[in-house]
Amino acid sequence: MASSCSRALRHHACKSSRILRIHLQNSWPNRSFALNSAADQQPAVSSLEEIVIPKKKTWSKEAVLQALASTVNRDPTASDYRFQDDPYLAPKTALEFKLFSLSQEAGRNAAKYFINKYPNYFQKDYAHPHIPCLMPETLEAQIEEASEAALAERVQLRKVKAAVDLYDQLLQAGTTVSLDVTNELLELICFYGDCDPAQENVPEQRTEETEDVQEEAQAKKARGAKPSDALRTPWKENNNAERIFALLSEPNTRSYSALIRGMVKYGAYSRAFSTYTDLLNSRLTADVHIFTALIAAAPDVQEKYNEKWDLIVDLLKQMAEQKVKPDLLTFNAVLKALRRCGSVGKSQAFPVMREMKALNIDPCLASYGHVLSIFYKAGAPVQGQKDILQEVMNEVSGKSFTPQDPDDAQFFITAMRICLDTKDIEQAYRVHELLGVGDNWRLVGDYVKQNIYYARFFSLLCLMESVDVMMKWYRDLVPSVYYPSSNVMTDLLRALDTDNRLELIPQIWKDIKTLGHGNRQKLVEDLLALMARETHTPQVQDSLADCALDIRSLYSTGDRGKALMSWTAGSLSDVISVLLAAHRRAHAWETLKLFKTHNRVPSVDLLNRFLTCVKDSGDVDEAVELVKMSAGFCLPDTHTLIQRIQQEFELSPQHRSILSDLEIQSFSSD
Amino acid sequence: MYKRLLNIHQVRNGLIHTRLPSTKCKEKERFAPVIWAMGRARPLGTSSIFFSENKESSTSLSEDNAKRPEENEANAEVNNDGQKNTKINEGNNISNAMLTSQLETEPVVKPEDSKKLDKTKTGKESLLELLGAMKVDVTTIRKVRPPKIPRISERPDPKPMESVQSMFQHATAEVSQQRETLNPTLVAAASAAASTLPNSRQAESELLQQLRKHEAIPDTQRRADGQNIGDIIADMKVGKKQNARSNARPGSQIRFDDDGQGYTRDRGITGELDAVRTRKSPFTSKRLNIFNAGAEQDSLSVLGPTLWDINLANQIVQATNQTPRNGFEEMIQWTKEGKLWQYPINNEAGLEDEASVPFHEHVFLDKHLDGSFPRQGPVRHFMELVITGLAKNHHLTVQQKQEHIAWFRDYFQQKDNVLKEAEA
Repeated sequence: MASSCSRALRHHACKSSRILRIHLQNSWPNRSFALNSAADQQPAVSSLEEIVIPKKKTWSKEAVLQALASTVNRDPTASDYRFQDDPYLAPKTALEFKLFSLSQEAGRNAAKYFINKYPNYFQKDYAHPHIPCLMPETLEAQIEEASEAALAERVQLRKVKAAVDLYDQLLQAGTTVSLDVTNELLELICFYGDCDPAQENVPEQRTEETEDVQEEAQAKKARGAKPSDALRTPWKENNNAERIFALLSEPNTRSYSALIRGMVKYGAYSRAFSTYTDLLNSRLTADVHIFTALIAAAPDVQEKYNEKWDLIVDLLKQMAEQKVKPDLLTFNAVLKALRRCGSVGKSQAFPVMREMKALNIDPCLASYGHVLSIFYKAGAPVQGQKDILQEVMNEVSGKSFTPQDPDDAQFFITAMRICLDTKDIEQAYRVHELLGVGDNWRLVGDYVKQNIYYARFFSLLCLMESVDVMMKWYRDLVPSVYYPSSNVMTDLLRALDTDNRLELIPQIWKDIKTLGHGNRQKLVEDLLALMARETHTPQVQDSLADCALDIRSLYSTGDRGKALMSWTAGSLSDVISVLLAAHRRAHAWETLKLFKTHNRVPSVDLLNRFLTCVKDSGDVDEAVELVKMSAGFCLPDTHTLIQRIQQEFELSPQHRSILSDLEIQSFSSD
Repeated sequence: MYKRLLNIHQVRNGLIHTRLPSTKCKEKERFAPVIWAMGRARPLGTSSIFFSENKESSTSLSEDNAKRPEENEANAEVNNDGQKNTKINEGNNISNAMLTSQLETEPVVKPEDSKKLDKTKTGKESLLELLGAMKVDVTTIRKVRPPKIPRISERPDPKPMESVQSMFQHATAEVSQQRETLNPTLVAAASAAASTLPNSRQAESELLQQLRKHEAIPDTQRRADGQNIGDIIADMKVGKKQNARSNARPGSQIRFDDDGQGYTRDRGITGELDAVRTRKSPFTSKRLNIFNAGAEQDSLSVLGPTLWDINLANQIVQATNQTPRNGFEEMIQWTKEGKLWQYPINNEAGLEDEASVPFHEHVFLDKHLDGSFPRQGPVRHFMELVITGLAKNHHLTVQQKQEHIAWFRDYFQQKDNVLKEAEA
């Protein structure tokens, strides 16, 4: 009743408005354009009789937070978010960063360990609603008697040995175990290579060396990404997995899959292929995981590049025959295998990529990373690569990627390495831009990879960009995301040198000290040489002199009373030159004395310069003292110094006699 | 692209710089010629002195070319610097072409007065001196800079470049014209100003001298304050190029890497353009043709995540950077772990099993008293208080409330004889 009434009312209103409009148009024909257009728009609103009520949208529980998070930009002046709780613990050096971030994780793991170890003390559930992840996990098997459920439980808890024992008990007792549970057991054994898994809660501590080597050296690639993999035991013949598999009366594809993947994982490549033949003989079809594993193993069973590729193609064809649809990981395995196929890889990489596109499989960053590694071998000379990087960047630019493959994290460092090798700053900017898109920042990898990436990027900037642009990046990246190593700081100094922007040195020195490179002798000596090489405007010279004094103090006070750096003649004379140029003779004189204490010999050139400086002030005593010092070092050119003093200074008789004595001495020593 | 945009932007800035003084001058002239002549001669003056410098360096360059080939580069750099100081085409990609074009336009801006010619002569000498003394570390530590030519993918279209160039030429020509046409008015204005003063002749000559001096003084952005052109060039030697590094390299020179990467390929702009025509992206090349695109997958029944799948996920998580960058991301992480109340805020979060229970089950609890409790008396009275309390308690589920009541029921049944004794 009510609804029909309202509809009639609306109809009426609509009609009347239309009539009114016609009236208006009649009475004021084309009087005003604005009025007309406004009146014309009206029916568009009123004629919409149907109001479509939008459907209720269910938001994911993170949607609000994601929207909020997207509004937060990185603050280049702040340290990482993890360290913002306690400013005292804001890391200043790369080492501190590593230490603090690892210690946070380690603390979490320790707490977890104790909760799981002593679950009886952590039974009180304070949270409502219940939070499962805060409660102790059950790590001990609850079911005692030998049954299939107990076996399933042990498989669930990943207790390899216990599960195998129980399985044997069950068989001896004559109980049949269902195929599914057996398959799960097989998977468990194959996954861990017939060993009990190492403790899960060990904080992941990866040494930088292994990462670096693994990333750089192609040959050692086979060793695998994780140290845990490197330490693993090889696949043993007739181990529990094979034994249990042999006991199966009718193994299905899943059983074969578990076995083959385990064999590939633990390096028994040829056994994997023979198992695959068994699978075919028993008239079963393989699944996609089997093929992926076999493709990954293919480069290891053949010698020649061609044979490797032929094997891969053969496998792919069998996949098509068996109507198994390949997935992203299959193609990534193909591309990864192509990395080890030399020139064949270069010719086949793009057809493989095309095949992916044709099958509507979007390549992930790992796929592109593999393509890049195929074309640009680390350490090999860059030649004839017709801008493959550029092509790849054209493909990926502006896309946001989600992590889909463990190798995704290799893309950014690979791309940046190529940029650095080819000195292609433009592509480097594009790579860096890609990093900022969406969630791609996650794909740069862990802390170590991130550091490698930024080191490469920044070295390239030092090499290719003007100092101002470079410093802009420097201020942006250091130290909020990147802690440069001393090598990179040397690059930075070299860039300053080339652009003659030495007035920035005091600033950089401050940063070097903060970054903990103040005791790198090579870096400090480079810095000193750079400061001493030229004369500057008085202000700059003054700040450089302050900087030099600071460096000098670092030399004298080392950690725990032990000096980390030792003076060399070069660095000492550099310090003195800087101080002299800034007219700080008193400081320079102090420094000159250090030659004696550290058993270094100053150059004649330096003493001459010093003398010139002394002459400007006309301090005869000091000049004579200088000559004494020179004579003390038995410098061959002492007599020229003496001559200079005799000519250029007004000497008292006493001084004259000292000088003549010294002259005789120096001649006799000659 | 970014780079190129930047460059064009800078070129444009440069143009604005050159244009600005002249337009400013025009306005000032129109409104207050006297004041302008007195105070505002500076901007024009600088541009003219820059041109003479440029000419200076270019002549010395041609002389030096024969004698000191090893200083070619340094010269080129100086030349470039001069160019930069004119603020016209800093950061330009096609510097050589620009340079020649500039040099071509320069004869129009010949120094007018003999005084300036004298100065240029001494300036030339001091320039040669400086070049001789110049540290040649530009050649010792060399950085390889591949030409920053816009990439093919961005389809460099030569037209804008040309138009920029012609604009630039136009601008220089305009400036020089301005310079020539304005100078008489400047003199006139000076004399007009002088005529107001008592000793008009002397005042006029003083004013003109002052003007010339102003012309000689470089712009305020330069630190050099002397008229000595040597000082100016000495400043330029410092080489504070903003971003025109790649311009410094003569095209004919062979590029060689310090770090043993070998010869870098010289990618001329024409080559790039050719390449864009001939090349197709390798991503659109032929495919393997093993699989059918529309092939149906007879997928095996998926039995939930297997151990391998879990492991793969773990590996991915470990390989990628999962640390939160800000508080919200940390909250997302907590939400996923179930440690945080979920958004959008829901007052019944965690009470899912109560969602289907109507409210009257919570509030009207009398029915649980019927039957098992006495109809009247102190126990009944007590229990009525209990259910009133329970009805208002929103922390307990219906189940818990019923258990509560049941507990009292049991209790009172156990104490039945005690109650009877008391005759309650």
